[in-house]
This record gives sequence, structure tokens and C-alpha cells, in this order.
Amino acid sequence: MSNEHYLIGSYFLFAFISLCLGVVVYRVLRMPFAAIAEAAAGKLRSTLLKRALAVFMTLAAVLGFLSISYTQKGCINYEQVVKDRSYLVKVNQRQLQGAANWVVYAVFAWAVVVLLCLVVLRSREADRQTKPEIH
Amino acid sequence: MRRSKWAADMSPHGIAFLVSLVVAILVVVMVDRLLRPALRGLLQEVTGLPPATDFYLRAFAIVLVLVALAAVMGSGHSDLKDGARFMEYVWAVASGLQDVCQNLLIVLLVYVALVTVLMAALRRKL
Repeated sequence: MSNEHYLIGSYFLFAFISLCLGVVVYRVLRMPFAAIAEAAAGKLRSTLLKRALAVFMTLAAVLGFLSISYTQKGCINYEQVVKDRSYLVKVNQRQLQGAANWVVYAVFAWAVVVLLCLVVLRSREADRQTKPEIH
Repeated sequence: MRRSKWAADMSPHGIAFLVSLVVAILVVVMVDRLLRPALRGLLQEVTGLPPATDFYLRAFAIVLVLVALAAVMGSGHSDLKDGARFMEYVWAVASGLQDVCQNLLIVLLVYVALVTVLMAALRRKL
């Protein structure tokens, strides 16, 4: 397999792997997140939050993949890129690294969203306990 | 016999990468095993909501795995040449492990900060 073929194949393969990484993380977090979102925001808004989680995770993974440049932002040309197979492998590794790092940032961001949901739930509970029941 | 031939066919970079990956997985499993029971108890007490505990524990595991994976991917092992000696492999793996430990430490600090904010925010409302 020539380096050019490797470049084409590996680019799309690693793009797919990065996308899958985002989807897998979304699927792992989906069930508990859905339960929290529904309790805090109701059924309609929880659907929005769940879709936002899916979009956010996949976009974060794709963004991490896309943030790595083969030409080092124009510093080297195409011929220099395809000349060295080990450079191509290294770029593939960095693409996965970028995707993993961005997914970690996204997970932390959604952990803060869950924290806000829990605060809303807790204050609602506190309000319910302090207000007298009206018949 | 077959394994040694397989190892001989691999590049030094590939061998160091695989060993680093295995060591990183072991470190992640160890950290997770050590912290998970206490973290579960703390989260259950603070949140009082099983899905929230589940979410934070899953997020914890995902973050640990991805950070270790990213660190192993990021460590180049490019200084290894064909015919490298045993200690050169050890140094390459140790260099990769340094990145893994550093990233795990940063992520654990962020997670501790998050749990602290969680405790402060939810305890006040009790």
C-alpha cells in the first residue's frame, strides 16, 4: 500500500473512529442523564437536553479529530506529508488524542450541566417543604 | 516461538506503544478500583439521586480511560531505533507513563473540584 493510499484510507477510518468515540460516550451517559434531565426539566425540555448531549459529544469528538493539521497549518506541503509513513501514523495518533481530549472536556461540561439540574431539583424540594400546602 | 517472531516483526515504536497502552490500562483500572467505592458512597450521600450517582461514576470512568488513551497516543516513542536495547524500551515506556500520570492527576484534580462544588451547592439547600 502506497503512502498516499494509506493517507486516504487512514483519514476516513480515523474520522469514523473519532465519530464512534463521541457516539459511544453519548450512549454510556444517555440513560442516567435522561433520568436527571426529566426530573429537573420535565419531559419536553429533557428531550432537548438529551439531543444537545448527543450533538455536543459527537461534535466534540469530530472537532478534536479536525483540530490536527497534516500540513502543520501550511508549513509543509502535500509531497512532504506523503513522503514519510511514520509521520502519517503519528498524525493519526494525534487525531485520536485530540478526539479523546475534546470528549473529556465535553464530559466535564455536561457534568456541570448535571450539577445545575441537581441544584434546581434541590431548590424545588426545599421550596415544596417550606411553602404550606394550599387546599 | 511464534510470539517472539511476531515481536521481532513489530517496530520498536509499536512494541513500546503496546506496552505503554497495557501499563496505562493497568494504572486506570487500579485508580478506578481504589476510588470508585468511596466515590459512590459520597455521591449517593450528596446527590440522593441514583441516576446522578450513576452519571458521575460513568463520567469518571470515561474521563480516566480517555485521558490515559490520549496520553499514550500523544507520547511519540520516536527516539527508539531498530535494535534498541532493553533499557531504551523501559525509558520510552516510562516517558509515556509520565504523560499518563500527569494527565490523570490533572483530571482527578478537576474531578475533585467538581465534587467539591457539588457538595457545596447541594449541602446548602438541605
